[in-house]
Amino acid sequence: MEPPAEVVHWMFGVGFVFLGLCLLAEAIVGPTVWRRRAWRGYLWPGIAFLMGVLMWPVMVFFTSSAIHMLAHSAWAQTLMLVGAAQLGLVRGKLHNQLWELTLPLALVVSGLAFLIHEQNPWLFSRSAFLHHALGWTLLAGAVVCLGRAVRPRSPAFNAGFAVMIVTVAALLFCDRNIAPIFGHLSPLAGAR
Amino acid sequence: MRAKALMAAILVALGLPTSALAHAVLLEGVPTYGATLAKAPRSVQLQFDQTVDAFPDAVDVRSSSGKVVTAGPAHTTDSGRRVIVPLHRVPKGAYTVRWQVTSNEGHIVSGVYTFGVRVKPPPPTEAYGARGPTKLEYVAKWGYFVGLALLVGGLAFRLLVLRGRALPPALERRFYWVVGVGVVGSIELGILVFILRAADAFQLPLGQLIYGDLSPLARGTRFGTAFIAMTLGFSVVAAFLFLAWLTDRTILLWPAFFLGLALCSGLSLSGHDAVDVGSSWTSELADYVHLVAASFWVGGLVMLAFVVWPTSPSLRRDAFHRFSQLAAVLVGAMVLAGAYLAYDRLPKVSDLWQERYGQVLLIKSSLVVLALSWGALHHFVVAPALERGRGVGSRAVARSLRGESAVAIAILLVVAVLVDANPPAKPAQRPTQAVVTHK
Repeated sequence: MEPPAEVVHWMFGVGFVFLGLCLLAEAIVGPTVWRRRAWRGYLWPGIAFLMGVLMWPVMVFFTSSAIHMLAHSAWAQTLMLVGAAQLGLVRGKLHNQLWELTLPLALVVSGLAFLIHEQNPWLFSRSAFLHHALGWTLLAGAVVCLGRAVRPRSPAFNAGFAVMIVTVAALLFCDRNIAPIFGHLSPLAGAR
Repeated sequence: MRAKALMAAILVALGLPTSALAHAVLLEGVPTYGATLAKAPRSVQLQFDQTVDAFPDAVDVRSSSGKVVTAGPAHTTDSGRRVIVPLHRVPKGAYTVRWQVTSNEGHIVSGVYTFGVRVKPPPPTEAYGARGPTKLEYVAKWGYFVGLALLVGGLAFRLLVLRGRALPPALERRFYWVVGVGVVGSIELGILVFILRAADAFQLPLGQLIYGDLSPLARGTRFGTAFIAMTLGFSVVAAFLFLAWLTDRTILLWPAFFLGLALCSGLSLSGHDAVDVGSSWTSELADYVHLVAASFWVGGLVMLAFVVWPTSPSLRRDAFHRFSQLAAVLVGAMVLAGAYLAYDRLPKVSDLWQERYGQVLLIKSSLVVLALSWGALHHFVVAPALERGRGVGSRAVARSLRGESAVAIAILLVVAVLVDANPPAKPAQRPTQAVVTHK
């Protein structure tokens, strides 16, 4: 017996909030201060990696369609990949800075997928609105992360990345299985 | 160059399809999938989470012989959320339900499931109209077996054959590449095999299959249960491997190894030796031993030929000697378990050349004999020569090891065909005297 899909989204919203707050703290105090405790460097990549591992149960237990499974497997892999690459860089096991590009790449793929898939307009339902909003947020975040890869110590890029993650968390918390958006809900989406 | 290859691999991985949530989802089917009913149902009803459009032929219900048993066109109720199709009075037997409706955002959503009237229905993979396997499925399964061998065999080699040895960084790096490819391959190809199996059951083009409801396949079959357990398990194995690499702690490889070993049982518990008539715990155990021994052997060979030999000349002799000893045990276990399985699955000797299953088994056995002869040459000729300090730098030995590895990997292709071939049916047991008297 699985929990409702919206509950799973809220659980991942919690993960993204932690992730975003860690990044925001690092952006505010700067990497030098943030990493005075060595373990803090591992914090957000570790959370991302763990969230990737935890995404797999969602993939295998919510099998209402093939694309739903594939989507969650892709998100699981991108989260694990981004977390692993960042952990490798922090630990000094990876030296090539090209690994930083895994982050914008993952965001581009995820964002485009949201936008391409969603055939309905923004105000069709809350889920449609969230798909559009998440897609554009992730694409904007990819641009910010590209800048962050080039200038890793820039406070603006680091803060932008953190805000993007917090926004993703907020959007996930807004999710309901069938719900209106700004008072609109299409009869086709379940309005009676 | 290596970075470019990595980036290409990442691009491919990220290029997999993502997102989808808005299409209609089947909440409940009446009769539900896998149900065994005491009374024949008068209709099939499908409840969706949102409005759907259903054409008159949206729900197709057939008997196991393919006879249509619907008594009228499909229609919707509950504001378009429930699709109903009436049925004729159906006799005892298994029935296949294939449905296809248009979701409100325009996507065609479909599914297939089975139910039985006073009999246990077959799994959806054996529903009426299901076909397969295809050539692509064979290739995917081959890749899956290779991935499993690289993972489990690679870990076994690292933990058992190379135990207590100081390893050069180049060897460690290559080892993690090999087992990393193994675990990622096992996950990705496991998903692909599952989707292809679903395509066999649904008989739909890929564009429509992506909105197919896979729940009956995932929940209603041993294959689906194994897929769920193995996908989850391999993701944890991947995490352990990554942490072992990141922290340089070999001890973290042990849980990855044991979990990998346990996950191999998923194949044995969902294959012919678990689900066919006449299967027992001994056939499941024999299949598991056969699979594990083969994975150790193939993965170990690859490690020896492609990891130890090119990166660490000082370890060649020692690793060769140790693996040679281990391989003798593995080959013994593999041959014994394989012989038992062949005896169990083939009722008559003539099945070997008269039945397709037997023919594939003969091809596999021929390749195994070739590989074992090659292995015997290594065990009885090359290993003693290496012990005497000869041939350690020989290119011929390196080529020979690569050759044996190639044959071993080719055997896995035949195995991929074999696991999808149906063994000949066993002769029906003669009724006991008590039953005859009763009748």
